[in-house]
Amino acid sequence: MEIRRNLRAYPTLLRIGIAEAVAYRAELIVWMLTTTLPLVSMVLWRAVAAEGPIGPERFSAGDFTAYFLLALLVRLLTSSWVLWEMNREIRTGIMSQRLLRPVHPLVAYSAENLAATPLRALLVLPVSLLLLYLYGRSEITKDPLLVGAFVLSLPGAWALTFLSMVLCGCLAFYIESSLGIFHLWYTTYVLCSGYLVPLSLLPGPVRALAEVLPFRYMLDFPVRLLLGLPGLQGSAAHAAVLSHLVVEYAYVAGLLIAVALLWRAGLRRYAAFGA
Amino acid sequence: MRRYLRLLRASLRLSLLLAMQYRWDFIGHGLMQLVWTSLGVLPLWIAYQARAAAGLSALGGYSFPQALTVFGFFTLLKALLDGAINPSLTAVVEHIRTGTLDFILLKPADAQFLVSTARQEPWRIIDAATGIGFVVFGMAGHIHQGGAPPGLGALLGAGLLLLCAMLLLYSIWILVICAAFYVVRIDNLSFLFTSLFDFARWPRSVFRGALHVLFTFVVPLVLMTSYPAEALLGLLRPPQLLLAVVWTGLLLCLCRLAWRRSLAAYTSASS
Amino acid sequence: MASSGPIISVERMSKHYRVHQRSAGLLSALGSLVSRRHDIKRAVEEISFAISPGERVGFLGPNGAGKTTTLKVLAGLLHPTSGSVQVAGFVPQRREARFLQQITLVMGQKQQLLWDLPPADTFQLNRAVYDVPQAVFNDTLAELDRLLGLSAISRIPTRQLSLGERMKCELAAALLHRPRVLFLDEPTIGLDVSMQVTLREFVRRYNERFGATVLLTSHYMDDVAALCPRVIVIDRGTLRYDGDLPGLVRSIRPHKRVTLRLGGTPCDQGRAEDQLRRVGELLSWDGTQAVLQIGKDQLREGVAHLLGVLPVLDLTVEDPPLEEVMRDLFERSAP
Repeated sequence: MEIRRNLRAYPTLLRIGIAEAVAYRAELIVWMLTTTLPLVSMVLWRAVAAEGPIGPERFSAGDFTAYFLLALLVRLLTSSWVLWEMNREIRTGIMSQRLLRPVHPLVAYSAENLAATPLRALLVLPVSLLLLYLYGRSEITKDPLLVGAFVLSLPGAWALTFLSMVLCGCLAFYIESSLGIFHLWYTTYVLCSGYLVPLSLLPGPVRALAEVLPFRYMLDFPVRLLLGLPGLQGSAAHAAVLSHLVVEYAYVAGLLIAVALLWRAGLRRYAAFGA
Repeated sequence: MRRYLRLLRASLRLSLLLAMQYRWDFIGHGLMQLVWTSLGVLPLWIAYQARAAAGLSALGGYSFPQALTVFGFFTLLKALLDGAINPSLTAVVEHIRTGTLDFILLKPADAQFLVSTARQEPWRIIDAATGIGFVVFGMAGHIHQGGAPPGLGALLGAGLLLLCAMLLLYSIWILVICAAFYVVRIDNLSFLFTSLFDFARWPRSVFRGALHVLFTFVVPLVLMTSYPAEALLGLLRPPQLLLAVVWTGLLLCLCRLAWRRSLAAYTSASS
Repeated sequence: MASSGPIISVERMSKHYRVHQRSAGLLSALGSLVSRRHDIKRAVEEISFAISPGERVGFLGPNGAGKTTTLKVLAGLLHPTSGSVQVAGFVPQRREARFLQQITLVMGQKQQLLWDLPPADTFQLNRAVYDVPQAVFNDTLAELDRLLGLSAISRIPTRQLSLGERMKCELAAALLHRPRVLFLDEPTIGLDVSMQVTLREFVRRYNERFGATVLLTSHYMDDVAALCPRVIVIDRGTLRYDGDLPGLVRSIRPHKRVTLRLGGTPCDQGRAEDQLRRVGELLSWDGTQAVLQIGKDQLREGVAHLLGVLPVLDLTVEDPPLEEVMRDLFERSAP
């Protein structure tokens, strides 16, 4: 009953979300400028690898180019800002208004976030595809199975980004003035998703941590798929793809459950202490 | 002048009180800051580690201790950015959005000063101390590797350039505020600048071509961190020092001009 | 400063805004980058008035009439498009420190108190900003405490105060530097009646105690009626009336409102109604109680007549309610 009502509302929510994205396009563009940071990372790491390939995977300057261009693409297609939104709305009490509506706030958030994707894609896809074609063509896989897996991995990457943000956002129910929460999320993301450097370059313990956390599936995994899974060949690569996809969506399911629990507990607290 | 010092003290006092209102932030930030700041050295360390493993020498002519000195200046300036600049920016944007900027304009003191000193985050002093620690550590390593210890000239030059760096940071931030007068929903501009500023942790030789020009003149990150570090290391030449000083002066004038214009536009247009 | 001349003088002051026209959508947004269409909004059109030191003046007008714009021009927050404005011997728009030291602006809809800290801390900040010597500050605060009863609330974080308590502290924060000119923009908005009376009373006493000039806008006619011997009415940017309140009422509604309670038997009702209608406009009539509207000139005559012919038990004569007068005024001016 609840679910069907939410589902029925979803197309309308999406449509309004798109209209809003268009209305706040200036803000969206600034956001997108923020996410073009991989371009600078790219120049930087090209300089680091200028005299020869580095790291355990022998990344060359060309590899770094392709890596960071793909990272930009994946980030723009899967990013979310729900953590900021939640944080603000919980602290200022706007959340109360959201709770009065018959649509679940998290459903509404997801619609708002998803709805910005088309406009963002419209603005960013041509540029990044052109750059990719010009500079990173030779590094990109031609294996149709891997390209297919890439497409499959994207919704999961978005869901993981969104859900992990919501999970952190729920902390705002417990902690007053929680701008620190965003930094907690962002720093972990930057480090453990491969946004800062390819995971293989991280020092041992950090790398071990990054390989356990779900963050790698938000960026590193999709990017690696299109790079043809460096280090793996043929059937070994295909087997790895399958197991990674399973793990990715298992994480999605796990986060979904965690969010449901924490959200409910947080709301109880919100209701008790008010805003 | 004394009056403005008093004002600054009043504002600092309020910020301290405010910070203590949110206990978790006060304690949590202080401790976490230390961890995060130290983690900040990671990309630098990774790059040097990876190059060493591949049998490559120093990055763009910078040894690791030298790069660490740059990183120290970066951390110091980042403390200023996070501790004084961003909080005030957030406060001003909020004032503009809600229209309470009127109250500030009605005060018999320079509005730019009031806006600039609106809010501080006192615990960022820990960051600043960490930054100085990195500078000292980097310099020690540099000397250990046979570098010359800084003379009086180098110290003075570095001090002057650090002052320039702070003023540059301040000017850029005033320019961002000016933008907030025209486009109201701009909260993320500060996030954009913070992310961009992250690149200041790298020695300038990493940036080549157009990017080097961009980070020297348009977003003068290079002037802010590499220059003072190089002055301290005895690598900077006088013309570069002059460039930094002149550029700082220009940007300061520009920001004051932009501030005046924005304020005039605000008072002659808004309702 | 000479105390004889006006403290506020406004001459043929106009304020026009340029507003950008843009319809919704991405395409029109792109279009607006190339060419923008402007409209001129005339917020205030050539108004003139002068106010003497110590006066309490009420600004009346419907929403969007230009009241707040005028106040902001007087406070130096907006530059007038044309005309001249002088407040306390200064040109407000120059925002000289010595000018700002003498005025204050309270906006009922906005607050300057720091949200997370007790008002006492905002008071301290304002002391530093306005450079008030500690002794004077203590005196003023004690005085304000006596008038408003602040001591119980000024140590509680602002976010935990009620709207009324917050407004008291807002006023105190705005008055710590003892301004000579007070601009109050809807200071009582959203407050309950008793709090409105408290604040109103405070403003009157402050005005009497310090001889400060008060310029007030309010939606509540009662505020203006109780506080301001003089009212200025503006509507759609133009000045429509400047004078005392009874004069305004007379000019808009030259009528008195007569309420009569009649004795006698129900069978007389028809006759009584005829008599009532003959004298004035019958606003309501339930058989025993009648409300009549009678022109001022006919009042004596009409009342005398009714007393003669009808069994009148009780009779009151009043001005029509102020709210009605205002509605009348603004409806009449509507196109």
